[in-house]
Amino acid sequence: MNPTCYVCKYTPTELLSAYGGEPLLLDQAPENFERSDQVAHPNLCGFGKSIIQAVLSGQVKELVLVNCCDSIRSVYDVLKESGQLDFLYMLDLLHHQDGCSVDHAKGQLLALAEAYGRYKGTAFDKAAFFAAFAGPDRPKGPYIAVLGAHMGQELFSMTQALMPLPAENGTCANNRNPAVPEDAGDFDALMEGYARSLLGQLPCMRMADTAARKTLYNDPSLAGVVYHTIKFCDYYGFEYAGLKDQLSVPLLKLESDGTRQSQEQLRTRLEAFAEGLQPPASAGEEKRAPSGRGYFAGIDSGSTTTDVVILDQDKQVLAKVILPTGAGATGGAARALDQALAQAGLKKSDLTATVTTGYGRSVIHGGDKSITEITCHAKGAHFLNPAVRTVVDIGGQDSKVIRLDENGGVANFVMNDKCAAGTGRFLEMMARTLELSLEEISTIGLSWKEDITISSMCTVFADSEVVSLVAQNKALPDIVHGLNRSVAARAAALFRRVKGGPVCMMTGGVARNAGVVSALEEALGLPLFIHEDSQLCGALGAALFALEM
Amino acid sequence: MNVIETFGAKVGQLAQTDPEKARRLLLLGFRANGQKVRLFPGTRPRSGQMLFQQVNQSIIRCLARPEQNVMVSLFTPCEMLLNQGLNPYSCEAFSSYLSGSMAEAPFLRRAEEEGIPTSLCSYHKVFIGAAQSGLMPRPRFILSTSLACDANALTFRYLSQLYDVPHFSIDVPYEQTEQAVDYVAGQLRKMGAWIQVQTGVPVDEAKLVQTVARSQRTMDRYQQVLANRAGKQILGDLTDELLRTASLHFLLGSEESEAMVDQLCREVCSAPPAQGPQLLWLHTTPYWVPPLRTLFNRNPKVQIAASDMSYEGIVEADPNKPYDAMARRLVFSPFNGPVERRIQRALEVAKQVNADGAVWFCHWGCKHTLGGAQLAKKHFEAAGLPTLLLDGDSCDRGFGGEGQAATRMEAFLELLSAR
Repeated sequence: MNPTCYVCKYTPTELLSAYGGEPLLLDQAPENFERSDQVAHPNLCGFGKSIIQAVLSGQVKELVLVNCCDSIRSVYDVLKESGQLDFLYMLDLLHHQDGCSVDHAKGQLLALAEAYGRYKGTAFDKAAFFAAFAGPDRPKGPYIAVLGAHMGQELFSMTQALMPLPAENGTCANNRNPAVPEDAGDFDALMEGYARSLLGQLPCMRMADTAARKTLYNDPSLAGVVYHTIKFCDYYGFEYAGLKDQLSVPLLKLESDGTRQSQEQLRTRLEAFAEGLQPPASAGEEKRAPSGRGYFAGIDSGSTTTDVVILDQDKQVLAKVILPTGAGATGGAARALDQALAQAGLKKSDLTATVTTGYGRSVIHGGDKSITEITCHAKGAHFLNPAVRTVVDIGGQDSKVIRLDENGGVANFVMNDKCAAGTGRFLEMMARTLELSLEEISTIGLSWKEDITISSMCTVFADSEVVSLVAQNKALPDIVHGLNRSVAARAAALFRRVKGGPVCMMTGGVARNAGVVSALEEALGLPLFIHEDSQLCGALGAALFALEM
Repeated sequence: MNVIETFGAKVGQLAQTDPEKARRLLLLGFRANGQKVRLFPGTRPRSGQMLFQQVNQSIIRCLARPEQNVMVSLFTPCEMLLNQGLNPYSCEAFSSYLSGSMAEAPFLRRAEEEGIPTSLCSYHKVFIGAAQSGLMPRPRFILSTSLACDANALTFRYLSQLYDVPHFSIDVPYEQTEQAVDYVAGQLRKMGAWIQVQTGVPVDEAKLVQTVARSQRTMDRYQQVLANRAGKQILGDLTDELLRTASLHFLLGSEESEAMVDQLCREVCSAPPAQGPQLLWLHTTPYWVPPLRTLFNRNPKVQIAASDMSYEGIVEADPNKPYDAMARRLVFSPFNGPVERRIQRALEVAKQVNADGAVWFCHWGCKHTLGGAQLAKKHFEAAGLPTLLLDGDSCDRGFGGEGQAATRMEAFLELLSAR
């Protein structure tokens, strides 16, 4: 028998069970949206597209939707047109939860019961209806709540595996808890009670009155929140906007596109968040080599360069190396480490501990531990200047802003999304378009005269905007200054999102670009602290962690 | 930098430090622009001048007399507000005026910095950013409907909390039934009582009948405009369609809206024959895109014959039952229910105005329009109506892609001209 799939917590799954159906939450993230993009606009929300993808791939034959949001309404329109389903139904749910809404919902339940019973060829089984109500299975003791927009099973499983405490999935459709209605005499009365219990659930964000959602955040056992949003789903972004300054427990915002492709990028954020939830090691716990001598290496495997720092037990830097990563992270790390060992006059066996960080951290052989570049950057920045409270890191692949506590721990952080705009890669692309070297593009913008605004946020469109400025004979320094301001505006927006403040340190390869540094200082209204070893911040932090192992 | 760019930059800059001053500067600019159009109307037809002045005045009132302001979602019936001398203004209108002043960017940035989703409709993001920065004055209260998009539910709830002002929302059922009309009419009655609590002024039922009757006459007359529009040349621009959307939504019921449509009706009757492609436009217009603006600006070779943002409120209703009539506008709007209703209504209007082609404008962040795009193209083309799906943003210059949008539009017009 085909399961009857559903996607919303307000779906009357108990009613489907009462007619012999097997309700199944559609919860798998697809590899891509190839089929969905053929029939629907690519800017539909990722969850909506995953439903279309599942149906068009033949995985779903029966589907009951709820008029949840604009995207689900569009999913219904598209799937109805496709004719691929044996049973497709959409319930209309109002936004209020008052008496009129209950009447409306009751009417919708009666209509669904008739349509579904006719399709299944079955009658309502009251015992099966009541048996289908399941009590909430909540974790006991401290836990991490995963809240916000729908999170697919794969991403939730990864989150569960990475968190140091049990994780509870309270996102969108997963947060389902209808009370058992009273066993009223007739079907009509029972459906009225059922409508009331469905509408009486902890509201999702599409309901008019969401005040009861506060219970999600006021639980004394709540130890942290992973807040998930999906591109093009706006409902939960609003809740996050209100929550981010009020929550007293650590909060991580995680945005996905609804596919499995983005999971590895999200892993770094989850790991960094989990690292922040661990109690900090005290200074007395620092590991010392039994011989009284010890050497500690940090390897930062980035998308553009691989950096290595070797420290002795007194935190003196013995070697620092920056090499292009090349084609593979493993080989790049091996080369950089060999060079650093040679610089320090050491052999590999002399190393007491090695910590790896950066995007390639998990594929580097020989490391004792992997720690995310977010935690390592904070550590390194604190070491270079203990007054630093914010790190703006603009690298080749991503940009991030980290807020530090007074001990160099991560208080909060944000990263850019998958788009290249606002990263070193963006500047590289623009340098190519303008036929400038990276050295030239880093300084030429300082001698600007006309204030040009590059308004396009999309890298591709910004590129064509630059081409058109060149065609208008605009001076290169003015165009580059416009580009610098564009990158700075992106970083400044991240800075404000984490509520960054002085002293602000800039790290990453773009810290060497004087034009961007100047534009960012202007955008933030703050001087930036740039250390000669800024680019080594991640590797330095990793080496310090190695020393503390 | 040109004058508007300098003006917009100054407004944006002042809004960060002294929002009151930024508001005064904006007011000065809108008043000056109103005078300019009054003194130098150019080739703008009389109905276009009336339209411009009506909407411009409502935005001026919004900035100059904030104590009379009521923030509304675009589809909220506002007859009860107009009767009390209150000034309704919508998110789309206010944001369009900021975008028209080239001042939208800092408000978009502000909203995103506060955590508002980047994929939210830019009209709403600019509106929220303007509220957060203190540029937009605090309204007396807020009214909204669940029609026609989720952004309404989110933005107005958020702003009600931000401003700490009361908010009333009307829930519009998805289905087109008499029960749905009764349900919405009941909510509108409650809204009247709720407004009385806010203002202390009871709803004058007799006056409401008159105002709703004016709304009905206005939309009936607009139906006549469409009926007589086929084969006629009415020179307009992309801004006119946005202004008309305001006039036939939150300003509907006013004498100015009725007079404007009456004038338009007269102009249509005496208009010369059309010379080039006549388009049906779906959704808002990206009026800020310079090459598109140039293309449509009083161009005798191409015109927008109808836009669904303007005609969507045409329904049969009895104004003697004002709550029922207002409810009918919401329930039977082509924007309510499955997208096939919007598509079918568009095909009816395309036939009525004898449109040569349709442009379905996929405004960034409008999930309803994006979601229906490919279905619309399929059904329009099956009915013999060539269709362009145009991606863009009606409010945010940061979307970019101006050259690409212009190329697509020009190629589409070449295709229509070659038929």
